[in-house]
Amino acid sequence: MKAKEPKKRKEKKEARMPAPEGDSGNHNEPPLETTQAVEAEKSPPGRTGFRAALDFKARGEPFIWIMGGALALGVLMIIGFLVLVLWNGIVTFYPGPVEVVTLKNGKQIAGEPFRSESFHPSPEQMKGLDPESQRAIREADGFASRTLYRIGNFDVYNEDFKWAVAHQVAKTETPPGIFFIERKEWGPFIGFIKALKLDSRRISGEEVSLDTLYSAHDEAVDRREAVRSIEVDEIGAINYYIEEDRLALRRTELDYGKKSAEYRAEKEKFERQTKERRAGFATLKKKIAAINKEDEKYQITLREIGGREKHLRLSEIVRLYPANNLSLFGKIGVYFSRWGEFLTDDPREANTEGGVLPAIFGTVMMTLLMVVFVAPFGVVTALYLREYAKQGTLVSIVRICVNNLAGVPSIVYGVFGLGFFAYTIGVRIDQLFYPERLPNPTFGTGGLLWASLTLALLTVPVVIVATEEALSAVPRSMREGSLACGASKWQTIRNIVLPQAMPGIMTGLILAMARGAGEVAPLMLVGVVKLAPELPFDTFFPFLHPERSFMHLGFHIYDVGFQSRNSEAGKPMVFVTTLLLITIIALMNAFAIMIRNRLRRKFVEGQF
Amino acid sequence: MVSNATVIEQEAEFETTAYHPIESELGSVIDIDNFNFWYGQKQALFNNTLKIQKELVTALIGPSGCGKSTLLRSLNRMNDLIDGIRRDGTIAIEGTDIHDPRVEVIELRKRLGMVFQKPNPFPMSIFENVVYPLRVDGIRDKRLLEETCERTLRDAALWDEVSDRLQDNALGLSGGQQQRLCIARAIASEPEIILMDEPCSALDPIATARIEDLIAQLKEHFSIVIVTHNMQQAARVSDNTAFMFLGRLIEYGETKKIFMNPMHVRTSDYITGRFG
Repeated sequence: MKAKEPKKRKEKKEARMPAPEGDSGNHNEPPLETTQAVEAEKSPPGRTGFRAALDFKARGEPFIWIMGGALALGVLMIIGFLVLVLWNGIVTFYPGPVEVVTLKNGKQIAGEPFRSESFHPSPEQMKGLDPESQRAIREADGFASRTLYRIGNFDVYNEDFKWAVAHQVAKTETPPGIFFIERKEWGPFIGFIKALKLDSRRISGEEVSLDTLYSAHDEAVDRREAVRSIEVDEIGAINYYIEEDRLALRRTELDYGKKSAEYRAEKEKFERQTKERRAGFATLKKKIAAINKEDEKYQITLREIGGREKHLRLSEIVRLYPANNLSLFGKIGVYFSRWGEFLTDDPREANTEGGVLPAIFGTVMMTLLMVVFVAPFGVVTALYLREYAKQGTLVSIVRICVNNLAGVPSIVYGVFGLGFFAYTIGVRIDQLFYPERLPNPTFGTGGLLWASLTLALLTVPVVIVATEEALSAVPRSMREGSLACGASKWQTIRNIVLPQAMPGIMTGLILAMARGAGEVAPLMLVGVVKLAPELPFDTFFPFLHPERSFMHLGFHIYDVGFQSRNSEAGKPMVFVTTLLLITIIALMNAFAIMIRNRLRRKFVEGQF
Repeated sequence: MVSNATVIEQEAEFETTAYHPIESELGSVIDIDNFNFWYGQKQALFNNTLKIQKELVTALIGPSGCGKSTLLRSLNRMNDLIDGIRRDGTIAIEGTDIHDPRVEVIELRKRLGMVFQKPNPFPMSIFENVVYPLRVDGIRDKRLLEETCERTLRDAALWDEVSDRLQDNALGLSGGQQQRLCIARAIASEPEIILMDEPCSALDPIATARIEDLIAQLKEHFSIVIVTHNMQQAARVSDNTAFMFLGRLIEYGETKKIFMNPMHVRTSDYITGRFG
């Protein structure tokens, strides 16, 4: 019965067609005839071959090669990039040997070999070489090889790195007694230990055993940490409360005026409290002084390769190890201790050393806050666009605009974020809620909140587009089933459409998150700073401080790589930080994908 | 001018509706009176007038595009979802015009359960599927939900197969089971009428037979309107049959008569397979 239907219809159409239309029907016929004719030619009765074998174009072979090639090229570039970052990031913290290079002119260089290259010496450099080397270089078409050593001791040498041209080197040794010493300030020191002063004991360099050194250093680190914890936590708290009191006083002044009784009472209270707090402050100062006095007794004298000496308190040393006298186990220990410091500590040395904890924190925090803003905003917008708005020209225009928003340069969003969020809304908020803090801005400047809002704005088109696609992919039959059960439109959306669209929405959020976490340019305008040891999260009410400026791994990479004193010194950190940022984004994405897959599993049809 | 002429010609082409249904003792449940329906400029239904009898099965048959699904979907106003529709004439359920502005479309749809062509269980547990109409009413009483679930699943002849896995995902059921689940869901809100839009067209013969048995049972409590392409099915399950063609109701009458001795040539042509 069904098979009959189309034929029948066709007949009917033809029957209904008035006579003049028959002409137009004829117009259509000639091409039909020709194709039939061609087919007849190609496949004579009793076809001899398959069509694919005859027609090269039909097989589309070249296109398969082009498509496959494009994919392979893309994959290769990504793999190349990842391998570069991974390798450089992973090896950076592994302690290398320290070589002592004696040059032919008698000078000595001690340092970690950093990299080698072949170069073209300039005529002046050639003049400085002995005739034999000059000849050798000329024979090698004017090329010589050189090695860059990380010599440390910036306070003594005023440089971090030194080149050693291979032809100038007389001999290279790795003396077992040389130490690599990372200091709180001035970068690493590379040299020998001349003497150690532990309280009243004095030990000369040759007699120092590693155990004594390490245990003395551990104690010194404990003292340093104790001082630091008093300074940051306790004194920090006192400062915080004094500031709070001052703000309360200022608030009373603004509310009641300077001459009012309330102000006088408040002022009295403030002075009393401040006095108490200052007393506490003094006690803490004394405590610190005592520890420092103890600390003075533990000192170390170092000697660099040229013979110049340097006195240090043990507590000024972050980490020290005999670079050439280290077992594999010891090297791995140093490696992981460096990673530990990197992940859990504050930066030092203008960010080129130390850790990136505030930056990790800032990145994750900002991304999560961004998702918190962008998810409901984008989804709700898309819901209206797809489910409620009457589909027409206006909605199409809105949709095109939303798509185009994704193409606006991110720095423009940064400018907008600064101008709108910080300077318009933030300043209003300050005037209304924090008048006592003015002229210091609270929300009236860049901060975590404004940065995540700016990024939310930047990524909202991605979420809207993805959500719309996900919503339109929910089958009509599901909606009808729900509506036929007597559910309202909203109930249908909430109970049936949204849960089914959730995996698609999550995909959009994942894309948005990856884009947001990797964005740097707009953040520089709306709250990311070079150094912000104060995390946006602490023990003072209300615990989360979204108005604070923060550090970001992406900006950290830029800052260390291109804004630091010595870009060579920052290079390893750039790779490590990049590796870390990629890892964090990958982890966040993996987590989101896991949630999505769990959601998706619910909707897999088990029909057979 | 030309198109006008053809319309008139077509109008003249159609005979008046032959009307000889079995009358239920309980009277009619849906009165459709001069109902016209347009999708944009295209008219889909022309002056449909029929009374659907209470607690009987009414089958709507006709070739594709004859408007039977449109008519069915007009009964619970599912067509409201489509942009650019227009209608004329009245449909009254138990005497109330369903297009009366005072009628809540949600309440109306609760009085007419609907089963679709393709089984469309929600991606939730079997239990949640069945009690969905109650959930949207905001019913939280666990005992009531469980009772309803068991009762409707028994009514839908599915209880024995799924009673031990009510919390499993409904998408894991076979096609026939899914369709019976959808029937259970349709009767969970205790409707008076069940609308079925080709409920068996996606099922194999065995599952189809079970659904047909079920229709025979459900007839005791519900008035059923079923759209079908399968003439044998219409003959087997229905009491009254309405034959539609190009949006017109050609013949509405007792199923036996329609299939044995139709009053119009067009009807007999269709049911004997001469066209369509």
